[in-house]
Amino acid sequence: MSTQAGLSFEQAPPFSLPLQFFLSAPLFLLAAALLIVLDPASLASRWTPQALALTHALTLGFLAMAMLGALMQMLPVVAGSPLPRPRAVAWLAQVPLALGTLSLMAGFLAAEPIAFGIAVALLGVGFAVFLAAAAVSLVRATGNVTVWGMRLAVLSLLLTFMLGLALALMRAGTWIPPASAAALAAHLAFGLLGWVLLLVVGVAFQVVPMFQITPPYPPPLGRWLTPGLFVLLLIHAAAPALPARVATLVEAGLAAGILLFAVTTLALQARRRRKLPDVTLDFWRLGMASLIASVTVWTVAQFSPAWADSDAYTLLLAVLFIGGFGVSVVNGMLYKIVPFLAWFHLQAQLQARAGSIPTMKDMIAEGRTRWQFRFHLTACGLLTVGLFWPLLVRTGGLMLALSALLLQINLLSALRRFYRHGGRFI
Amino acid sequence: MIEPTDEILVDARELEPPEPMEKVMRTLALLRPGQSIRLLLHREPFPLYPLLVERGYRHATRMEADGSYVILIHPAGAADAH
Repeated sequence: MSTQAGLSFEQAPPFSLPLQFFLSAPLFLLAAALLIVLDPASLASRWTPQALALTHALTLGFLAMAMLGALMQMLPVVAGSPLPRPRAVAWLAQVPLALGTLSLMAGFLAAEPIAFGIAVALLGVGFAVFLAAAAVSLVRATGNVTVWGMRLAVLSLLLTFMLGLALALMRAGTWIPPASAAALAAHLAFGLLGWVLLLVVGVAFQVVPMFQITPPYPPPLGRWLTPGLFVLLLIHAAAPALPARVATLVEAGLAAGILLFAVTTLALQARRRRKLPDVTLDFWRLGMASLIASVTVWTVAQFSPAWADSDAYTLLLAVLFIGGFGVSVVNGMLYKIVPFLAWFHLQAQLQARAGSIPTMKDMIAEGRTRWQFRFHLTACGLLTVGLFWPLLVRTGGLMLALSALLLQINLLSALRRFYRHGGRFI
Repeated sequence: MIEPTDEILVDARELEPPEPMEKVMRTLALLRPGQSIRLLLHREPFPLYPLLVERGYRHATRMEADGSYVILIHPAGAADAH
């Protein structure tokens, strides 16, 4: 019972592999911020090339980059099932993902068909390698609610990529898919509500009680929420073929599921047994509040068709969901994962010298993570209000740039401490 | 001849990871011959096991009725004394 499914040193990927993902992610957050600073009008419409470039810098470059690194690290721990050939998988997924995201951004910004072609090829290689490895690991894994969340999230990532591929070929002028509006809606839904949300929900069932010492999530929620949301997403993808009323009901179901998750998480966090300040908790709370705000904005749109058709509505949902929810939660988790790995690998490499290495909490100075949270919070606030008062957008972008830089500096400070105490990046 | 072993209780149920592991590592460093650790936790500490094995300790894990775990940690050699 006790030794078969554990994280052993043979199972845990070498420190350098997940780090490759975690250290490139903030650079894309910085790139997105600089796009906003250089051209605050990017946020004037969802269809500006700048808006599309910066959306993909955030979703592929920051969110997917960090989430793939986290999956690689978490599969052995929560599922007892490491990725096969981790070194090859890390390199063949991370490098193409980074270069592919840059090409895609260039494709949008320069409207250059060749850049779209290169992006499609690179992202295709990166995702194919990672998805194949993750599939092997997730098939072998012993099923629990987190593993199910991961399975459905990874499946959603595959669907998101396939739909994105069709859309990119269309932009490159190579091929016109038959139902491009439906493909776009499904690309957005599977990417944001499938890949990002389902992974966060599945992981939350495990990490919120563990790190924030809260009571567990109610078991029925763990069992039904991720499969329920995924089924709704499948119906949603078929919505153009269904009566409008069904489509609205499906969206209402998704909104209800999101609300239930966010409210339950906040309620559990309010009942945590140890009330110490914790910056990751603040990031989670901002994330959950942003989910609730997204659902509220969606609800208002159901009663106001003019608002529902406006660019500001879609952009507001995007800022709240991607920036307020996705970036916040991933950023908060990086502050647990990277210091933990630094501590764990140091502990493993320098055997039996208890007390001679820093604790996990010493790895990154608390005050600096709190400043980074303040920059991030201010950026989210300014960019949200900036949709209605464009003068604020540039300052919002500047705050986001400072936040991204400080995040990178903070993560590097953990590695400096690791290295100074004799840790090796193997 | 054999004294009942001193058991040091580490109740890590209210601690955030990896503080339970950090605490076990510190306690291991203080163990005197014949002493062992009884660790209480809300979940099974998979990442702790390889750290114990590498340092020459054995463990036995038991799940309690309330879903929490008790992990008994002995120096590997001490098993022969029982």
